[in-house]
Amino acid sequence: MQRAAGRTPERPTARAGRVRTHRAASPWLFLLPGLGVVAAFVLYPFLSTVHKAFTDARTLTPGTWVGLRNFRDMLDDEQFRVALRNSVLYVVAVVPLTVLLPLLLALLVHKKLPGVTFFRSAFYTPVVASVVVVSLIWGWMLDDRGLVNGILRFLGAGPVAFLGDQWLLLFSAMALTVWRGLSYYMIIYLAALANVPRELHEAAAVDGAGPLRRFVSVTVPALRSTMVLVGALSSVAAFKVFSEVYLLAGPTGGPAGQDTTLVMLVQRTGTGLNGRVGYASALSLAVFVLTLLLMLLVLRADRKEADG
Amino acid sequence: MPPSRSAAAVAAPLLASVLLLGACGSGGDGGGGGSADGKPEGSITFQTWNLRSNFKGYFDGLVRDFEKANPGVKVKWLDQPAENYAEKLSADAGAGTLPDVVNVSPDLSYPLAKAGLLMNLDKEKAAARFKGEYTPESWQGNTLPGLDGSYAFPWYLNTGPLFYNKSLFREAGLDPEKPPENYDELFAAARTMAGRPGGRTATLAGTPSIEDFGRYGVRLMNEDATRFTYNEPKGVELLTRYKELYDRGALDAQALTNTPEKSGQKFLEQKVAMNPGSAHDLGTFKKNAPALYRNLGITDAPNNNGKPNMYVMGLAVNARGKHKAAAVAFAHFVTDRRNQEAFAHQVAVFPSTKGSLDDPYWTKDDGTDEGRVRVASAKMLKGAVNYTPVVMSDEMKVVLKNEVAKALQGKKSPKEALDDAAAQSDKLLKRS
Repeated sequence: MQRAAGRTPERPTARAGRVRTHRAASPWLFLLPGLGVVAAFVLYPFLSTVHKAFTDARTLTPGTWVGLRNFRDMLDDEQFRVALRNSVLYVVAVVPLTVLLPLLLALLVHKKLPGVTFFRSAFYTPVVASVVVVSLIWGWMLDDRGLVNGILRFLGAGPVAFLGDQWLLLFSAMALTVWRGLSYYMIIYLAALANVPRELHEAAAVDGAGPLRRFVSVTVPALRSTMVLVGALSSVAAFKVFSEVYLLAGPTGGPAGQDTTLVMLVQRTGTGLNGRVGYASALSLAVFVLTLLLMLLVLRADRKEADG
Repeated sequence: MPPSRSAAAVAAPLLASVLLLGACGSGGDGGGGGSADGKPEGSITFQTWNLRSNFKGYFDGLVRDFEKANPGVKVKWLDQPAENYAEKLSADAGAGTLPDVVNVSPDLSYPLAKAGLLMNLDKEKAAARFKGEYTPESWQGNTLPGLDGSYAFPWYLNTGPLFYNKSLFREAGLDPEKPPENYDELFAAARTMAGRPGGRTATLAGTPSIEDFGRYGVRLMNEDATRFTYNEPKGVELLTRYKELYDRGALDAQALTNTPEKSGQKFLEQKVAMNPGSAHDLGTFKKNAPALYRNLGITDAPNNNGKPNMYVMGLAVNARGKHKAAAVAFAHFVTDRRNQEAFAHQVAVFPSTKGSLDDPYWTKDDGTDEGRVRVASAKMLKGAVNYTPVVMSDEMKVVLKNEVAKALQGKKSPKEALDDAAAQSDKLLKRS
């Protein structure tokens, strides 16, 4: 006590300064581990990819600066045009379905009915299952002698080349993506539906609105921001699709490579002992920019809608 | 939210979209050192390609014997699955963790040697002194275009059997004891099979590979391996004949996209009549498809020029390894005459050491099916060729497969398709 009493009291201004410094530094200290991880696994690879996009780097050689050559090659590359077409088609076909169908599914299981919890869990199974396993099962089902063609044969219809025709194959992969996404986005909608005030529905019902009218005039506006979120998430996922198409179409990208998507093209050109890392980096950069543009488009459309 | 902030908000997660490639960095320096001369000592790693599941006992014994003879050396045996082996090697090479002794085929060793990661055995005295123990063809088989020297100890050779389903042959009215020996016979059999009563059956599950072009007698590359030549008239002829088969339903409906694994599965399920494979497949057939195994025919792949395809396996030594003397000694130990012959008695492969194939085991028919195939294959090995050009990368193989598919679909004429494939591959080759 005596020693403590004998200590020279700190000047209030110095202590306040130290507290201010600590207050400013503390958040950074907490952030440091996370920032380290981001720098090592996000920032550095990103900058490295940007740099390599302007070189002729290969898997085992660092390469030299080639300026815009990789981007010029991209414009001349028939496979790039095919991949871009397929990725855009994927977004156009998959996104509307993954925005609407999960909403309808969510409305179905939102009601408090006996056994609905079981259905909610059952619907979620495809998300839990590995995409590889699910894609292989779909591959077996859609095979020319698989389950689906077996049923078609039984019904007197000829075998359909789901995995042998470029368009059927692409549509099969899209169906798989939509099916897998249904329950994932359904959960997001279920959470949003829980926040829609019951009074709005009751008021609309009192005013004589039927179920369809209530859906259009109450549910949809209340879930608009969630729909935008689902749209944005599914757009990015659809544009970067890889596993479903790769597993159904094979490493060559379907018949004559006509089902190749952008990310498949990146994988094919950039990996292996002879991988053209420089060119694949340029492709990655193009995917990045196009995805960014897509997201901005979605957000802009949302903003316009909100302003209108 | 203003647009600029929106952009910032979405940009961060999207950065992840380009991360994949950032991780696929270019090869590192690897460092390493040590001399290949001197006493073998230290710990080394030895990597094989899909051999653990069937030959664990053999390799455990091999490692034990070597360590006993070389008390200062410890060998760690690693094995990688058949699929994506090249990706595994490239990841190891990029990370500077390429095993000290690694199982390669010439097309895999080419990019590694070009990047300076494999030891040039001809220039390393400690390794070059063993050259005389191997057949000149097999040592030559590991020399690479544009790189002066041989880059792997020759290991086992294989011609790769062609399996066929005798039951399907019988049902189609074909003689199950007379499988096609050349492409004319193959195409005739495939036409018969496609028109068999009770429903069409495909004979083959895949489209022609570069090896088919080689066996058909097509010149694949020019002399100095700087230009692909499979688009010459002979190649166009082969593709035209395959197109005819495809139109008749003699190829599997999914032939354009089938991978070797899928093709193998279709053969297992008796959906196609013939399929190339390896000796390892016999065990799989026996276990998973006993009905097929009872009706299994084994023959050589059809050939028009008398020179069968030969798969060459080698053991390369990491040029940047820390214990090169131990690595060279072990690679030689595994591939010496005694051990190669012992391995070839375990499975239907052939030794590449001088004089081995003169042993009665490979010259005298013991009356069994396996014995007949073994003796016939050993005989054919003398004129066998490794048709896969070592400079042909996986991407070039995909280019060929996709252009062949366009021809089969009728989107391009066979000539146009092969011209385009050759032109695209030449462009890739020039920049490699």
